[in-house]
Amino acid sequence: MNRYEIGIVDTRNIIKTLQDVYDYDFKNYALTFFKRRVERSIQKHSLRDAAAFIKKITQEKDFFEIFLQEMCVDTTEMFRDPSVWRLLNEEMLTELISNKPNFKIWFPEASSGEELFSLAIVLKKINLLNNVKFVVSSLSEKNIEKIQNGAFDPKKIETNDVNFKRIYSDANLSDFYTLKSDEAHWDTSLIENTKFIKQNIIFDDYPKGVKLILFRNKMIYFNQILQERFIKIIYNSLVPGGHLIIGNNEQIDYWNSDKDYTVVNKSESIYKKKLS
Amino acid sequence: MYKAVVIGGSAGSFQVITKILNSLPKNFPLPVLLSLHRLKHVRSGFVEALSIKSKIPIVEPYDKETIKPGKGYLAPSNYHMYVELNKRIALSTEEPVNHSRPSIDLTFETAAQAYRDKIIGIILSGANRDGAYGLKKLKQLGGTAIVQDPEECQVRTMTEASLKLTAVDHIFTTQQIINFLLKLK
Repeated sequence: MNRYEIGIVDTRNIIKTLQDVYDYDFKNYALTFFKRRVERSIQKHSLRDAAAFIKKITQEKDFFEIFLQEMCVDTTEMFRDPSVWRLLNEEMLTELISNKPNFKIWFPEASSGEELFSLAIVLKKINLLNNVKFVVSSLSEKNIEKIQNGAFDPKKIETNDVNFKRIYSDANLSDFYTLKSDEAHWDTSLIENTKFIKQNIIFDDYPKGVKLILFRNKMIYFNQILQERFIKIIYNSLVPGGHLIIGNNEQIDYWNSDKDYTVVNKSESIYKKKLS
Repeated sequence: MYKAVVIGGSAGSFQVITKILNSLPKNFPLPVLLSLHRLKHVRSGFVEALSIKSKIPIVEPYDKETIKPGKGYLAPSNYHMYVELNKRIALSTEEPVNHSRPSIDLTFETAAQAYRDKIIGIILSGANRDGAYGLKKLKQLGGTAIVQDPEECQVRTMTEASLKLTAVDHIFTTQQIINFLLKLK
């Protein structure tokens, strides 16, 4: 298997181009990740090299939009880490959301929409879906459209089903999607109460008064500088007593977390913002 | 002169890995990056099993954790593990490569870019071709490439795929790998 590769200098040139032409600043993305995404794009669109990529993305606004979508990692799965979903389903969500209308839940840097649909299904099953308002923000307009129309890759059905069965042994995930020939779609009534925001990398306009944030495996694509910037935004977005869930191997130790958060569940990386 | 060791293994590599780790002294001068194929749904237990008799601490690193000598870093289940140029770990949920996440190729390739000629890459027993391309990159960038002797491997596909792609520096038995590592200062 041969992959096309670009050098570090090329990578930096591309970052500079995107900054100059589109005012998108990717320099605080994790460099290995950004480089790999560009290489993937060059290969996918049969471009010759980094120079051809720069030329195309400079000249074609639509290609830039496609690239933004390609920056969104959509290769995870529904109910990734079933144990965290089991925990949410069994006690946590009922306790948090019951009798609280307009409970606001934010998914920053949404990519595949899998976290959104997973949570919507869990809430639907405990009859709390009508109590919540989802806010979904994503780097890519095209990606937002994809989430809105519920499309997903049918190849993932098997993995998704296995995960789902680990939470609900007596239910079927197929109650929530339709499969016609080779197209699969989630039931979009699950996300009726959703506000979508197209975000830039630095976003000043983030949702406030949020009670739960699902931010799993998104910060891993940032370097420490961008991680810290997001951490501040997350903190300001959450109400006191609001909850934050991050990925299993993401950490908040270096962000003064003792002062700002109590640990609700260490192994599932669930935190609660302190009251004062 | 070396700054890191990176090891890739799959089917039949567990006993080899534990034997190597158990032989390293507490003050082993390099970090050991471990990219091993593992069950996706079993999140815990592996690092504990590797740690039982190891004198160096073995961790499943946090994203952006700084890599330190004398410590083992095991790629967490269902994540790719990269090395950033500033010698920090970066995790990723990008698509599996060769049906594998973690992908040995990606750990080797990024580690080689970060450590250039100051890294030792070791491919052990395994049943697929993952790692062959990563070892080739590592060798191209000046690193030292070692492959476990296929004669000794429980499953030889992975080592043979590596040997086909790269003129490696050494073909070693487990004991020779250990001897080689113990001579490093």
